Amino acid sequence: MAKKTYDLLFKLLLIGDSGVGKTCVLFRFSDDAFNTTFISTIGIDFKIKTVELQGKKIKLQIWDTAGQERFHTITTSYYRGAMGIMLVYDITNGKSFENISKWLRNIDEHANEDVERMLLGNKCDMDDKRVVPKGKGEQIAREHGIRFFETSAKANINIEKAFLTLAEDILRKTPVKEPNSENVDISSGGGVTGWKSKCC
Amino acid sequence: MDQSVAIQETLEEGEYCIIAVQGVLCEGDSRQSRLLGLVRHRLEHRGQEHALFLYMHRRMAITGDDVTLDQIVPVSRDFTLEEVSSDGELYILGSDVTVQLDTGELSLLFQLPFGSHTRMFLQEVARACPGFDPATRDPQFLWLSRYEGREPEPEPDSRTESGWSLSQSTWPGYGTIGGGGSNSDSSKSNGKSLLGDQSSGGQDKAENSLTRQNKSKSEITDLVRSSTITVSDKAHILSMQKFGLRDTIVKSHLVQKEDDYTYIQKFRFFVGTYNVNGQSPKECLQPWLSHGTQAPDVYCVGFQELDLSKEAFFFHDTPKEEEWFKAVSESLHPDAKYAKVKLIRLVGIMLLLYVKQEHAAYISDVEAETVGTGIMGRMGNKGGVAIRFQLHNTSICVVNSHLAAHTEEYERRNQDYKDICSRMQFCQVDPSLPALTISKHDVILWLGDLNYRIEDLDVEKVKKLIEEKAFQTLYAYDQLKIQVAAKTVFDGYAEGELTFQPTYKYDTGSDDWDTSEKCRAPAWCDRILWKGKNITQLSYQSHMALKTSDHKPVSSEFDIGVKVVNNELYRKTLEKIVRSLDKMENANIPSVSLSKREFCFQNVKYMQLQVESFTIHNGQVPCQFEFINKPDEESYCKQWLNANPSRGFLLPDSDIEIELELFVNKTTATKLNSGEDKIEDILVLHLDRGKDYFLSVTGNYLPSCFGSPLHTLCYMRQPILDLPLDTISELTLMPIQTEDDGSQLESPMEIPKELWMMVDYLYRNAIQQEDLFQQPGLRLEFEHIRDCLDTGMIDDLSASNHSVAEALLLFLESLPEPVICYSAYHSCLECSGNYAVSKQVISTLPTFHKNVFNYLMAFLQELLKNSVKNHLDENILASIFGSLLLRNPAGHQKLEMTDKKKAQEFIHQFLCNTL
Repeated sequence: MAKKTYDLLFKLLLIGDSGVGKTCVLFRFSDDAFNTTFISTIGIDFKIKTVELQGKKIKLQIWDTAGQERFHTITTSYYRGAMGIMLVYDITNGKSFENISKWLRNIDEHANEDVERMLLGNKCDMDDKRVVPKGKGEQIAREHGIRFFETSAKANINIEKAFLTLAEDILRKTPVKEPNSENVDISSGGGVTGWKSKCC
Repeated sequence: MDQSVAIQETLEEGEYCIIAVQGVLCEGDSRQSRLLGLVRHRLEHRGQEHALFLYMHRRMAITGDDVTLDQIVPVSRDFTLEEVSSDGELYILGSDVTVQLDTGELSLLFQLPFGSHTRMFLQEVARACPGFDPATRDPQFLWLSRYEGREPEPEPDSRTESGWSLSQSTWPGYGTIGGGGSNSDSSKSNGKSLLGDQSSGGQDKAENSLTRQNKSKSEITDLVRSSTITVSDKAHILSMQKFGLRDTIVKSHLVQKEDDYTYIQKFRFFVGTYNVNGQSPKECLQPWLSHGTQAPDVYCVGFQELDLSKEAFFFHDTPKEEEWFKAVSESLHPDAKYAKVKLIRLVGIMLLLYVKQEHAAYISDVEAETVGTGIMGRMGNKGGVAIRFQLHNTSICVVNSHLAAHTEEYERRNQDYKDICSRMQFCQVDPSLPALTISKHDVILWLGDLNYRIEDLDVEKVKKLIEEKAFQTLYAYDQLKIQVAAKTVFDGYAEGELTFQPTYKYDTGSDDWDTSEKCRAPAWCDRILWKGKNITQLSYQSHMALKTSDHKPVSSEFDIGVKVVNNELYRKTLEKIVRSLDKMENANIPSVSLSKREFCFQNVKYMQLQVESFTIHNGQVPCQFEFINKPDEESYCKQWLNANPSRGFLLPDSDIEIELELFVNKTTATKLNSGEDKIEDILVLHLDRGKDYFLSVTGNYLPSCFGSPLHTLCYMRQPILDLPLDTISELTLMPIQTEDDGSQLESPMEIPKELWMMVDYLYRNAIQQEDLFQQPGLRLEFEHIRDCLDTGMIDDLSASNHSVAEALLLFLESLPEPVICYSAYHSCLECSGNYAVSKQVISTLPTFHKNVFNYLMAFLQELLKNSVKNHLDENILASIFGSLLLRNPAGHQKLEMTDKKKAQEFIHQFLCNTL
């Protein structure tokens, strides 16, 4: 029993303005592929990926959220229960960067207190169209005490690294001898929506 | 043996011993045997509690009388029972399991026998541990009080800090740790076997292991960890409850793809068999065991007739086991250090398995079993013992058998072989898997005194052929050769050429053939066979130098190709499998496509249904869909909307049409007029275990006099649809008691023009209409009337009297504040018998309400004047208008019959008295 394997389920959430590439970031991580056609996510999608960290098998359930403003009141309700949140902006879109503080406020208001946050500046392959300098991203991340990566789902830059780092940060917080943590119930696959429980 | 039966007999009613295991309690240098029973108590109101009961016991605990309760350890929240690696265990890998029991109060160290039973025990205990869910109550363990006083009094001077009794046991025969498991039936531990410590007793070793435990724990853990990389070890992980199914799939894929990540590495195996005729070791075994130049990687050493005494037969206990074990251990190849993996014995048949120390970490899944085929086909005087294990990724089974004796009994021997094959079953680490048989192994090594003789030749002829070294000729008469050729035994097994003279039967202490009365013919009784791929026999010989027995020992060395894991490739293969499983899982997330996600309802009118439909097309996974509530909302959409159906089930690749129905009624109209509500909503279509889809609903509502307050309408001099939305909103939100100061607003009308239009229409056209207010109108005509009222096109109004009458009633019903204000409701009911007071109450109503009330009463009185034609009377009208003009503020549900009566009575007064 000293060889206990703590298999864990981590719920991660991707948020950020519409069009910054959340779905592409997820698609790159889960399927190692990229699709150039833009289809706005209208709803909540999720994918799973199993990773091994520090000898532990960890199942990541990653939720992709609609970025459009009109859905914000609904999407914030999915924050509850997420253990890690990736806040994505587009380095070629100044507005998406300006909205960071709004998104961070959303996290403060709606997510679990101990949620692990991470800032991603996506589309870093498009340097010619860059309007947000890397330093600005780093600065705002520093101010909020969160990690920062510039990523490119298209060129596959830092995607895997970002997810693994986030998972590692969550793992570090997870008590090693967490009571019954091996009982994390993933078999049901349910609990996908934070507030679903109310109506079923 | 299932010792839980003995424990069960000691328990109170309502308690159940789930599983028991016999172990050794290690405390300092004391080693005491204990029965550990996991006991469950069912609580009266759901739930259960567990405790570990520790018993002192007689050697063979069969009934409750054989055990004495020593200590109870409640399985509380701080209870842990964990496997630990103590120093030296590396050398007896595959032997004992050391477990540490900790609670808040005490800490105990146990050695439990290696094997699936112990693993099952540990699993059961783990399952019994109470969760840490703060919602569940802490276990109380009240039931344990029933056992108080049953535990023996600890001697005051022999208590440890934890209060644990150290007192030496009083049961004879179990105070010391035994030398090794003797029989599969007995779970007696195989305590010591550290070769370097052969000279010292087991107790010294125990002390060492305890004192050195801390120091070397990390090294051992490292070793354990490094060994988890091997595929074979995943069995341990598999036995964990969670990820069970997924792990099973991963495992089966790994087995299929084994060639992708393993390579063949040769291991030198020594296989030896020796029938020792009940003798004790008298000479050094090195000529037999370490004659080669190269130190073997694995030793498989088998004995038969280890002890011929009846004590050994009946009590399964013999000092010979220890003697021969020691003799073998001392004669292993001097160039290497060996670890004992396992010792298994059935009466006189004993099998020992050693591996080079450096291979120990790659040995796993060790199980040993015995099959007796002797007296009554069951007893252990004949039969076989076997050890199965995994070396790296190759499964190996070693069998040592002693088959039936006597020349003519070859068929009996064949039968013994078959019995051993069919009855030898090894438990798997994962209890859900079926037991393994001998044939299910990559490599099988079969050794032993198979007892096949040389037939159809007389003794002298045999001896002559031997003298001539004509072994080939002699071999033709060998029963085993003949039987194997006839495929009646050892089918598929191979044996090397016999280049040595028969190993039976000699006069003990010599190389002379049997000179006793029986004068047995020489025979190749002692044989070594094998089955499997990548096996090369290097030698096959007897050892004449050893003269202790009437048999000569036989040995064979093999190079066996073992599948060794390339960690790099293994990781890649595993990664590939995990990826494909993830892909499968992602593909199995329900997913649909929607024909439409944005719905625009334009120019929505009061009480006019609008429908928009869309199609859900399901993907490849059957799914359940449902519109779900948004947070803090009580239904999945606004009150004026409805999805039909709002939930359902979809087969793969099937469609369903959903209709979104929009209908504004009196409940929802006012807020849409005022702009407090808009035709705007987002619906969340949720797939069970899958995605959520957002559906947007937008549109605009055309304000209507229906649902507008009386005073608002009085201030609207123009048709409502001619007014800007802002004005409508403003007027709708205007408080009811607005005093007209004449400054801001146009001077209001006395009553709403819409009301006047309807009443006037009826007055002009329907005063003599039969059954007025009692026949339903037409829906289409209602819509026409509504549009005329809202646009002011009153001249276009052409509808049946009944439709207009119904529109009037609907208008009164849709008023957010009834004609007689809610605040006056109760006073009206109270004075319903007193006309003067009733009039007084009416006079207190806000001006427009008072006006409307009087106007309606006057109109109704006009109608009554024509009652001969229209058949109306006061009672009918009071009943129709009572509930419309006087509405209970608490809503319709609470309307009691007496209240209804009083409301009618109230109106009735105004119909039959002068206003």
